[in-house]
Amino acid sequence: MTDFLKGYDIQYWLESAPQGYLEGTEYGHQPGEQEPPVVLQNEVLHEQAIRSTVQLVLGERCALAASSGLINAAPDEASKRFLATQTLDEARHVEVFTHRLHDLGVKKSELESTLKEYGNPNLVKFAELLLEKVDKKDFVAGVVGQNVILEGMAFRVFEMLHAANESANPKFAHILSGTIADERRHVGFGENRIGSLVRENPDRKPDIERLQKEMSYYMLATFGDAFRQGPSPEEVDQILEKEGVKREKPGEWQGVKLGQATPEELEGVLGDTILKEFKLRLGRIGIEYQTPIQP
Amino acid sequence: MSAGDPLTAPQDEGPRRRFELDDRGFDEVPRKYRKYYRRWQGPDDELAPNEVLCPVCKVVVRSARELRVGDRIYCMACMTRMRIVRDDQGRLVGECEY
Repeated sequence: MTDFLKGYDIQYWLESAPQGYLEGTEYGHQPGEQEPPVVLQNEVLHEQAIRSTVQLVLGERCALAASSGLINAAPDEASKRFLATQTLDEARHVEVFTHRLHDLGVKKSELESTLKEYGNPNLVKFAELLLEKVDKKDFVAGVVGQNVILEGMAFRVFEMLHAANESANPKFAHILSGTIADERRHVGFGENRIGSLVRENPDRKPDIERLQKEMSYYMLATFGDAFRQGPSPEEVDQILEKEGVKREKPGEWQGVKLGQATPEELEGVLGDTILKEFKLRLGRIGIEYQTPIQP
Repeated sequence: MSAGDPLTAPQDEGPRRRFELDDRGFDEVPRKYRKYYRRWQGPDDELAPNEVLCPVCKVVVRSARELRVGDRIYCMACMTRMRIVRDDQGRLVGECEY
């Protein structure tokens, strides 16, 4: 069942990540890179940066708790070792995004209250549901929740955030590119592990479909909220013009100009990508997408 | 076949075009394997006859040899094994094998 992990070992992880794309980085970005002044000085953009980074910290805290908890629930040695590397990846993500909050001016003493103030309730509920499964040592539910639903969806959101920030905020874009590289392994593990489980035990399909139906509502709701909060692209344009910041060429992702798209357009493109790709991912592993139930 | 080439099991042993691979800056796998991968540039990115898109992690996997239907490929970036098939538009694509 874990044949796909034959080529994976800690040495591979070391050569790919710490000695590869993370070499020479400081908290995920190039040494000396800083947040653009307009993000620190303009109240609206500053709050938006804090709000979006809070969701990243909360999502990564959930992934850290889940991946570490799943190590002892994993039925085979290869999955345990993979999850050990994923645990360190997730701990690093928590650290780099928390560090970004501090760079944005959030004091250490204010961290928890900031997370509470800006945290999306749907994301918090998703985390509670996932960790409840992990606490019960339900390995399959944990991998479906974390590596297929949470990371399968977040992977595309990180890519979009990266495209939007590549020229506007290279520091944040570098942090995201290292995170995306890690996520490739995590979604690969989820898809291959659950795919082989379904292939070898087709009788588990209804169970996994039930988990998807039960767990994906909160993640979809989180992404929906993310685009309804914060300034509109027109508002951002006005702010940048007022602050005298030259507008770089807007980042483009899936044919949409990210700095100019309306929230509806962004929601649309994410629906076309996240949901479409999520359905494709499930289809590849032999699972039919179930419309989530609203709890 | 060179060690590390993602083409793990060719469908046939017939003559194939060979490709000189260069490092395209994909730094997410150990150094010695980097030439076998590149970043995907989106839907307009035209793939060469020795390239296939990994459907799981969206990285372009490259072989030193032309790819054919039935070949087996391994994506080191996300550990996925694929078999090459032709899609409804006639393009070579990877179908995951679990």
